[in-house]
Amino acid sequence: MLFLGVENASLLELVVFAILALATVSGAFLTVTRRNPVSAVMSLVGTFFALAGIYATLSAHFLAVLQVLVYAGAIMVLFVFVVMILNREEIEPVAWRGILTRALGAGAIGYGALWSVRLVHQTKDAPLLKGPAAALPETFGTVASNGLVLFRDFVYPFEAISLLLLVAIVGGVIVSRSHTQEEAAVEVANRRRAMRATAGPERRLLPASEEEAAPAAHAASHH
Amino acid sequence: MPTHLYIMLSLVLFLIGAGGVLLRRNALIVLMGIELMLNAGNLAFLAFARSLGDEKGQVFAFFVIALAAAEAAVGLAILVGLFRTRQTVNLDEASLMRR
Repeated sequence: MLFLGVENASLLELVVFAILALATVSGAFLTVTRRNPVSAVMSLVGTFFALAGIYATLSAHFLAVLQVLVYAGAIMVLFVFVVMILNREEIEPVAWRGILTRALGAGAIGYGALWSVRLVHQTKDAPLLKGPAAALPETFGTVASNGLVLFRDFVYPFEAISLLLLVAIVGGVIVSRSHTQEEAAVEVANRRRAMRATAGPERRLLPASEEEAAPAAHAASHH
Repeated sequence: MPTHLYIMLSLVLFLIGAGGVLLRRNALIVLMGIELMLNAGNLAFLAFARSLGDEKGQVFAFFVIALAAAEAAVGLAILVGLFRTRQTVNLDEASLMRR
């Protein structure tokens, strides 16, 4: 315990942090190493739950709840849906091409992790890294005090976030739209126009002008 | 609890996510790596917010969560569009922007 520089922490706090940190790191490691996308998503859900616990130990109660609701709930459901839509072979084969580069990259990242953790450990007596200097107020991290800060100091960024989410919704719909269905609709419209051109004017059910102009314009704009 | 343990955890989490982004070829796993990196940033925000006794860090983490939701929606939509045109999510086979 002295090695980690945690004289001022109780044993219970330390044990809880160790369990949650272990769950987080092992879940993250499993996420990036699994070849089956479903098990990767499931380990990511576990990682996010453990992170929510860590947020709670940081007295960020509101953010812990948001982490479970938004990340472990909404975003992970999105990932699972995309795994289902893609419906590919579950386990991708190991790609031997470039395995040397990737092994080298993994080694570099592991070395970087060790180096940066050592750097933080050396500077752990800096006032910023020592933990809260004074006792935190009782309401720190609750919904009420977070909301006060949000709506007093960050009103415009908050509104900008709503705009960003709207843009993301519209962009998501437009990007993932099926092109084959549109092409089929354009083809049907073209065929109908050709049939109408061969038929005489007395066989027409609708006035020609409004129906013929629309699909042609649509086809021109799309391709 | 001292803050430096949280910062160490955040660093390790960020580097694992960066490894997933840089070394994997499955686009789905790459997006998950980006989520891990954003969460590591959030953890650092919250740790420093507690260390300074300032709640603005928590509000910034809230913004990051909203941003991550938007990023996941658009990224996964691009992934679905890629799969529709190329029948693959392997990033090595998707190096052209045209069909």
